[in-house]
Amino acid sequence: MATSTADHPPVRISLIAGRYLVFDIDAVMVLRRSHGLCGVLTGTMPQNPTQNLFLSLPQELRAEEARMLVDRGAAYIADEPNDHLRLLKEMSSGAGEKRREAYLRELREKRVTAKRLFDEEKEAVRKMHEGKRGKAKKGKQTQKGEGDDSLFFDSAPSAAVQPPAPRESLPAITPSTSNAMLGEPAGTSGAIADEDLPEPSAFYKELNRRGYFTTPGLRFGGGYSVYPSDPFKFHAHYLSSCYGWDEKIPMLDIVTSGRLGTAVKKSFMFGAEREEEGKAKGEGQVRMFCVEWAGM
Amino acid sequence: MALNQQQQQRTSALTKIVLNNLQHQHDWTNLHPHTQLNLPRALLYGLPPKRLYVHPDEQVEIIRAEKELGGDGRVPQEAELEWVLPLHLSEKWSPAQFAGVFDAIEPRPPGSGEITKAEEERAPWLAYKGSRRGKRVLLATVQDDSTVTYYWMHDGLVKPRQN
Repeated sequence: MATSTADHPPVRISLIAGRYLVFDIDAVMVLRRSHGLCGVLTGTMPQNPTQNLFLSLPQELRAEEARMLVDRGAAYIADEPNDHLRLLKEMSSGAGEKRREAYLRELREKRVTAKRLFDEEKEAVRKMHEGKRGKAKKGKQTQKGEGDDSLFFDSAPSAAVQPPAPRESLPAITPSTSNAMLGEPAGTSGAIADEDLPEPSAFYKELNRRGYFTTPGLRFGGGYSVYPSDPFKFHAHYLSSCYGWDEKIPMLDIVTSGRLGTAVKKSFMFGAEREEEGKAKGEGQVRMFCVEWAGM
Repeated sequence: MALNQQQQQRTSALTKIVLNNLQHQHDWTNLHPHTQLNLPRALLYGLPPKRLYVHPDEQVEIIRAEKELGGDGRVPQEAELEWVLPLHLSEKWSPAQFAGVFDAIEPRPPGSGEITKAEEERAPWLAYKGSRRGKRVLLATVQDDSTVTYYWMHDGLVKPRQN
């Protein structure tokens, strides 16, 4: 099973309301095994949405994680609403014109099929009733003739009861999906939204390269919680923050984070990317420092 | 120039506070200020009364060795010289400055006892005092009420101790 994750096709990451979500359990396993990403499971039960002890799919990724995967060619971003609009706009011109015609043709075929089915159904019902009505009509007519002066019935013209059959036309149908309209399902091209993704920080990339797993660190008072491997197997070793190379850090922050880290049996780790001339941002060496209480 | 002098006075006062605190409150010995051209300020180094830091991997080695000794066998833990960086709580340091300190110092302060290769092979835990010792400094943070708090800062990723 472990080998099957290596040649997995690119993972689909759905961009929904600004969040990067993975809905496929196989994809989640691939990310965990081959890319050192555990994300955050966010799904809960519709019947008990307040329970947050055990969460399930979808798995939410941070934007920088999504970007790193896209850069590796291991994933693509499916931005369905935008892709949908793009494909629809294309239909009014050029290459999209053909798709539009094909779609109209298909729609018509569907309507023809629908009409045929309706007619068949109607015919069957009519035949069924004809047999019954033959007997029922006789009884009804005798009843009518006996007790009624047909004061009201005469005024209603019999033509109104049976209006002249309207010109036979195809029934209107409402397609339940737009797949036929788009040719390819929206969001599979992966061409959209990539440029909006923030570049992952060199700090994060370095942690990932060294095999560390990260989860959001707010609950321990830091930027990330850093695990030496899969969080299923280990407790976090560090709570970490990322700073700029020349960013001034108040000593009080270092002391409080160090103290907090020690209280939860972790070490406070902070890092920064060295700014060097001739090196682009994200390519510099990353320095990391660990702070823990000295016990004196 | 006057400003520079003022700053120097301030850091030397800071160093003095920490030195006194270590000497009289924490019973450190062999305390020396350490100045170096590429250091942003004077560091201190000295000998704590007992060992202050044991790397978790070293602890594993020691426990293994003590198990082999059996019964009440204990591996004696001698204190080792440590670096101290005096800081004031109101200061703000950048990662670049911390990196500068670590780049300037050796892992072991001057005058640390030599540990030979043969000794390290015989007693693997000794390597953590010798060749495998990482760079670490004790951040001594001074507040205006002369409280001093001590925190370890390690260079690089060093896993936390099992407190």
